[in-house]
Amino acid sequence: MTTPRPPKGHFNVLYFASAGSFTSKNVEALPAPLPLSKLFETLEERYKGIKESVLDNSLVTVNLTYVNMPEGEDDEANGDEPVIIQEGDEVAIIPPVSSG
Amino acid sequence: MSETAEASFLTAEGCYVALTSSNLSYEDIIDRVRSPEAGAIVLFSGTTRNSFNSKPVKELQYTAYPALALRTMLTIAGTIRTKHSLKGIAMIHRLGTVPIGEESIIIAVSSPHRQAAWRAGEEALEECKAKVEVWKREEFEGEEGVWRANRDGAVGVKEEAKEPEKGEQK
Repeated sequence: MTTPRPPKGHFNVLYFASAGSFTSKNVEALPAPLPLSKLFETLEERYKGIKESVLDNSLVTVNLTYVNMPEGEDDEANGDEPVIIQEGDEVAIIPPVSSG
Repeated sequence: MSETAEASFLTAEGCYVALTSSNLSYEDIIDRVRSPEAGAIVLFSGTTRNSFNSKPVKELQYTAYPALALRTMLTIAGTIRTKHSLKGIAMIHRLGTVPIGEESIIIAVSSPHRQAAWRAGEEALEECKAKVEVWKREEFEGEEGVWRANRDGAVGVKEEAKEPEKGEQK
């Protein structure tokens, strides 16, 4: 797959399946760094309603690895290191799959 | 993001996984797992069905996150090969437009004895359907298409998949 490199100071978000239909995009560059915990609200600001109809049922990968979406403030209290999306990262929204 | 006229693949010992926008060939995939030490080759072929809940489907569109889908397929192949002591396992998924009645996925496994091959073939398919980052859109006559989820309405699963849906191929 050839995805354009994000511009300096940005990361790419890939939108698959229903995420692509909702945003009418396959990929978009957003400003980095961004805490992972802010990803969904950043997308919701741009695409009203995407959280409920797409994101809440989707998984997220950063550089081809699945990440746990922080559930709120307790994660830091639990000692989890907050994940920060960095410049040049490739983030993907993975709706429920339907291969076969 | 799905490429046209492009094939990509990954291999590991006894494992071959691929994505392609071309028609799938039984011969090619069987030859990938053929082995003088195998007494059985089991092949599963998923073909695109013409209806969903009795609604006529015109065609299917498959899209993928190729880099991740291939990686997931290779992990599944390697795990199942080890678990069932297979000689070979090959899985190929077609992307782009797949007309009704054509193959969208083929899985072939070879093993010294048939029991392991039957079991491994089924398990490989169920694992693929639960995890591989490929999406199917059903196109209907005269209305908008629908992105299908293998576990409809449910959140996708991560590493430790729950029991995949049974008895549902498409």
